[in-house]
Amino acid sequence: MVVQKEKKTINRLKSMYPLRAKVNETYLKSIEAIQAGKPAVWGMLNFYYGDPILKAMDIEVVYPENYGAIAAAMGVARQYLERADAEGFPTHLCGYSLTTLGYASRMMKELKGQIPPEAPLGGMPKPLFLMSSAAICDARYKWFQALGRYMDVPVWPLEAPIPGIKEFFIEGYYDKMVKLGVKHLKDFVAFVEKMVGKKMDWDKLDKTANLMIEVNRVWHEVNELRKTRPCPMHSRDFWSAMPAALFLAGDLEDSLRLYQDMYREVKDRVDSHVGAIPDEKYRMVFAELPPWHSLAFFDKLADRGWNFVIESFGYHPPIPLDISKVSDPLERITKFSLQFLVGYFEDARKQNVLGGTSAYPYLKYAREWKCDGALLHPLITCRSASTHLPYVSDMLLEKLKVPSLSIEGDIVDLRLFNPEDALARAEPFEETMEHYKKLRKQAGFDW
Amino acid sequence: MSDKNKGLNRAREIYLDSSRRARELRAAGKKVIGYPCAYVPLEMLTALDLVPYRTCADMKEPVTEADRALPHSFCPVMRNCLDCALKGRNDFLDGMVAIHSCDPQEKTARIWESYTHYPYFHFIDMPITVRPEALEYFKGQLDDFRKTLEAFTGRKLSADKLETAIRSHNRQRALVRELFELTKPSPPRISGTEIMQVVKALTGLPVAEGNDLLIETIDEVKKRTGRPESKPARLLIWSSTLDDTDVMQVFEARANVVMNESCGGIRAYKGEIKLTADPLEGLADYYLNEITCARTFRQAALGETKKDYARDLQSRFGYLKGIIRDWKVSGVVLLLVRYCDPFAFEMPSLKDYLNTIGVPNTYIEYDYTAGALAPMRTRVEAFIETISQR
Repeated sequence: MVVQKEKKTINRLKSMYPLRAKVNETYLKSIEAIQAGKPAVWGMLNFYYGDPILKAMDIEVVYPENYGAIAAAMGVARQYLERADAEGFPTHLCGYSLTTLGYASRMMKELKGQIPPEAPLGGMPKPLFLMSSAAICDARYKWFQALGRYMDVPVWPLEAPIPGIKEFFIEGYYDKMVKLGVKHLKDFVAFVEKMVGKKMDWDKLDKTANLMIEVNRVWHEVNELRKTRPCPMHSRDFWSAMPAALFLAGDLEDSLRLYQDMYREVKDRVDSHVGAIPDEKYRMVFAELPPWHSLAFFDKLADRGWNFVIESFGYHPPIPLDISKVSDPLERITKFSLQFLVGYFEDARKQNVLGGTSAYPYLKYAREWKCDGALLHPLITCRSASTHLPYVSDMLLEKLKVPSLSIEGDIVDLRLFNPEDALARAEPFEETMEHYKKLRKQAGFDW
Repeated sequence: MSDKNKGLNRAREIYLDSSRRARELRAAGKKVIGYPCAYVPLEMLTALDLVPYRTCADMKEPVTEADRALPHSFCPVMRNCLDCALKGRNDFLDGMVAIHSCDPQEKTARIWESYTHYPYFHFIDMPITVRPEALEYFKGQLDDFRKTLEAFTGRKLSADKLETAIRSHNRQRALVRELFELTKPSPPRISGTEIMQVVKALTGLPVAEGNDLLIETIDEVKKRTGRPESKPARLLIWSSTLDDTDVMQVFEARANVVMNESCGGIRAYKGEIKLTADPLEGLADYYLNEITCARTFRQAALGETKKDYARDLQSRFGYLKGIIRDWKVSGVVLLLVRYCDPFAFEMPSLKDYLNTIGVPNTYIEYDYTAGALAPMRTRVEAFIETISQR
């Protein structure tokens, strides 16, 4: 019997595949190198702050946050969660953290340092050190501190200032943030040098920083093209392509070339009015981490004319900032990293939307990408990705008359996201979007 | 017979109506500034003749209004604080200052600022480490706080005024420590519930009035003949926030709570601010380094390249050993408010530390609602029974 492959409604970018393949290939090479004895570091997503330093020092990095998602999607997270529970960690903690803690307990207490045989994709070996980050949530530095129960490896917690939107404009405020960042990174470099027993190649760091900035600039420009109607690129392509820019996964020169290819492809689609789905009825913004285990759900929504034109602020590149004249690479890295957060502040202050550094970007997205609705995905054990969502929903409706649909899920507990239930809620929400489209028109909005 | 308007009676009255005095002062022309956390440097408010008022949560108040702004799986204390604010309980405030002591407070502060309309609102960012560059950054944050306070009040915050305020608040810290000294005897001369009422009352009073209340209370307790009944266990409670007498009484029904190591107890009063040439330096050092909240990342040596778990535990929890010895603590309760990540991550490690030094301990979690008290009571009774048999 010939099995017919189900036709997907989303028109995926051809240029995404080589980029994704390069990222995957690099990951596998990295795992091989680690298994052959090359030191590895466990890192937390740090928004460009520590990664270029490790990259310039030729250190392999694995990200337990990503690994938590992989373990969940491949069905092995449950045993690590249960182990973390038995170790006394409260079950309401971040699911990724519990997966890592359970994994570390299994590897170090039970297997005396050997990678668990059931661990997918080669597992995570015992690291040389841990690089945590204060950015976004408390869990991301407390979790690595808690790993000290299982592993005698040092932790470097990267500081990450989080200013208030109004306060940021106090004279001298930004300079103090930069000063903190530069001094902190200088000490981090000294720490890394001690840990790996070699000196930083500052020319290489300079080049790495420039490539990181350029890769992200091109990636930003790709996403700007998505403002076009019909939108030429779906969120699924964004999620597939983002690791090369966000985690600096892969060779940066390759990534730059591949993102430039992607820009050309998306621009071609814009010029020839080709959308990411055949019939774009609703332009959607998606908020926070997607249900990694149920991405096919977006194809079903695409069948209904839902095009996801923009998504989670936390994974988007910073708004470009000209820092080419900054000669110190550590200062350039610091300013680039800070830009991720503060790049939206001027606009947020003008709009008088002070309720959260994570909240404002969604208003900008909905307005500039001309969205009809927002699909919010609160996550039961990821408070940092969920806290601002009720506020986002409130502001979108109040300021732009854009309604939201909230569908709960989780980052590791796959049972909490029900795609059928979510789809059942899609149809009535279309009526809501139609209603608010009329109200926007009456209120003078241009979409 | 004790004076109704003095000492423990007064503390109890203020505990039950914590904003009364702040409202009176505002009616008399003072400006009142709210703050939700022990990390806010009150000295800077006092030095400008502003009245600090802690915007506490109210466990008995069901959360309704905050639902539109915060999800359910979120720190219930901050949800409750915001709920009270949205219901207008703090409408007498002239301003509010929040600090990045933890993620929930940072996130709630944004929403608070957005949904309320106080004439003044300031957010202080706070680093997570005690590294020198972090300390310098935090001092800069306090300097920016000074600038906005000066702009709001139209007055200059001079070093002299700030030093005077620091002395007054240091005096308060010393008096609170003296109050806790009264729980050292067996049976203690003052109960955990009474101390909690006094400490909470302090957060609704100007520092001078608070110091008078402490002096009266200490004098009254020292002179009184009655004292709490001796119970089978002497407990230390370690928590983020323990500020409700109903919760305290769950423990005190069966034990003497001799130490409340939370921000509703001794935590904000254990140390003393050093008087430095630039007063902001002493303030920054105290608030970043000295307050023993789980939100701060501590390690045995800054930038250490080797890790030793025993030394790590000592650097994070070593301060408890002296308290346990001096107060003859027979059991420790690790009381977790659900969804409090900084404290939740500490639980297994703190248990490791307490087991190492040989102190019986238990971990209890609750959701900061009155409904949580019945199961909590069962857990407490079981723990007391266990340690009483040792």
